[in-house]
Amino acid sequence: MAAAAAGSLRRAGWRLWRGRAGLRCQLYAPQQGLHASAALRRASEEQRKDPPPSPSTQQQYDPQQTDPHPEQEAWNPQSSYTGQGGQQSEDYESEEQLQHRILTAALEFVPEHGWTAEAIAEGAKTLGLSAAAAGMFHSDGSELILHFVSQCNSKLSDLLEEEQKQVQLGEAEKKPTDQFLRDAVEARLRMVIPYIEKWPQAVSILLLPHNIPSSLNLLTSMIDDIWHHAGDQSTDINWYTRRAVLTGIYNTTELVMMQDTSPDFEDTWRFLENRVADAMNMSSAAQQVQSTGKALAQGLMGAAVTITNLTGLNQRR
Amino acid sequence: MAAVAALTPALRCSLGRRHGALSAPAGRCGRRPFPADGASLRPCSTRAALNGINKAVVDRIIRVDHAGEFGANRIYAGQMAVLGRSAAGPLIQQMWNQEKEHLKKFNELMIAYRVRPTVLLPFWNVAGFVLGAGSSLLGKKGAMACTVAVEESISDHYNNQIRTLMEEDPEKYKELMQIIKQCRDDELEHHDIGLEHDAERAPAYSVLKTVIQLGCKAAIYLSERI
Repeated sequence: MAAAAAGSLRRAGWRLWRGRAGLRCQLYAPQQGLHASAALRRASEEQRKDPPPSPSTQQQYDPQQTDPHPEQEAWNPQSSYTGQGGQQSEDYESEEQLQHRILTAALEFVPEHGWTAEAIAEGAKTLGLSAAAAGMFHSDGSELILHFVSQCNSKLSDLLEEEQKQVQLGEAEKKPTDQFLRDAVEARLRMVIPYIEKWPQAVSILLLPHNIPSSLNLLTSMIDDIWHHAGDQSTDINWYTRRAVLTGIYNTTELVMMQDTSPDFEDTWRFLENRVADAMNMSSAAQQVQSTGKALAQGLMGAAVTITNLTGLNQRR
Repeated sequence: MAAVAALTPALRCSLGRRHGALSAPAGRCGRRPFPADGASLRPCSTRAALNGINKAVVDRIIRVDHAGEFGANRIYAGQMAVLGRSAAGPLIQQMWNQEKEHLKKFNELMIAYRVRPTVLLPFWNVAGFVLGAGSSLLGKKGAMACTVAVEESISDHYNNQIRTLMEEDPEKYKELMQIIKQCRDDELEHHDIGLEHDAERAPAYSVLKTVIQLGCKAAIYLSERI
């Protein structure tokens, strides 16, 4: 049972660590963070005195550490000079994993406290760490939001992968593009619903200048993911126009969702359906204009040749 | 937006991450717990190609090569537009066909590695055609001089890329290197054909060559990044 608990903790930690990938550039003052986390680890290890869980946790962490060893090496030297000593690096959870765990635990306090350091402090407390753990993070709650967004993006990615697998195995029908886009955007937006009360706060924090690079990065990679799974194989300027259009649809639908009061957000999904239909119409209209233009040009050339023939202008005298 | 996405791999590298580990942003098809080789790229159903590669480097390579082949296509199209019905027509057509093959190959690579095309493609579209047509207005020798200049630039560039990939990991990038080597050999062949057909006797050959090669260098620099 302890093994199962440690196992699920390990999986959660790894998942978060993975999702943390998008936040690499967001570690503000990593030095002070490391000091704080080192102090916390000492405190938490003293707290986790129960013999059964800790040896098994440590043992289970061992094999895990050797797997992505190259990445761990990059971090352990840095954490070791906070005074923890290299000897503990084997059963040592990395800085990132710890932050992941804290942020994930903090999410359940968001509806109450908002996207703030208080929520992070509460989350740290549920993990048995001191509330000072919130000091590891920026005071405006940006990391919490970025962590959440990155988690949602990974969940969406998993979902789309699953769907793709099912279609390949023949267990499901391949959806038409507009249906696929609608479902993908809806699935992604539904992940925000539990936090919808405080979501406007999150969006405004994400628009702060120091957050824009990472939030933009997360947004673009999510949109690229959706298009990739929708089967987009463009290698020209269409690559950009498609992603720009979908980003517009996603952002406007998100805004509509934030002030939608209909049951189960029906109005939002209807808005989404209309926007996707508009986008499809726009692209087919653009194609029609192009082909009409070509036909027109050909027609004019034909007319010009006919006229020169009729008037004899093409004959050399 | 695209510039930011291109910057973040560099930022991540600067934070001491092993290359390939987390060079793909989160949320992209490319994350999964316990990657066997330290890479964060998920073995998606058709994404076996994406495992364990240095995404940032491969991204750049494919993007710039795709742009290059696209530009070369347009240059030959411009040359054909002017000289298509002259004696040099069939020769230029033959070289153009080989470039079309290259472009097709890079299109496939671009899709397989999920690389973003350069945003300057419409610009290279026009610039390439204008260069091809403009140099052909100086006659067949002008067209050949343009070919020689461009192909020399491109083969140097391909050689640099092959060197980079060799330094990274020859085994992992074997297929990609193979394709680049083949393209480089074809481009060298075009270069030699150009020289054979009196490129050096074109008017203002050295000036033409220098200017075109400077343009190519700028195009390569920009396409890698934007």
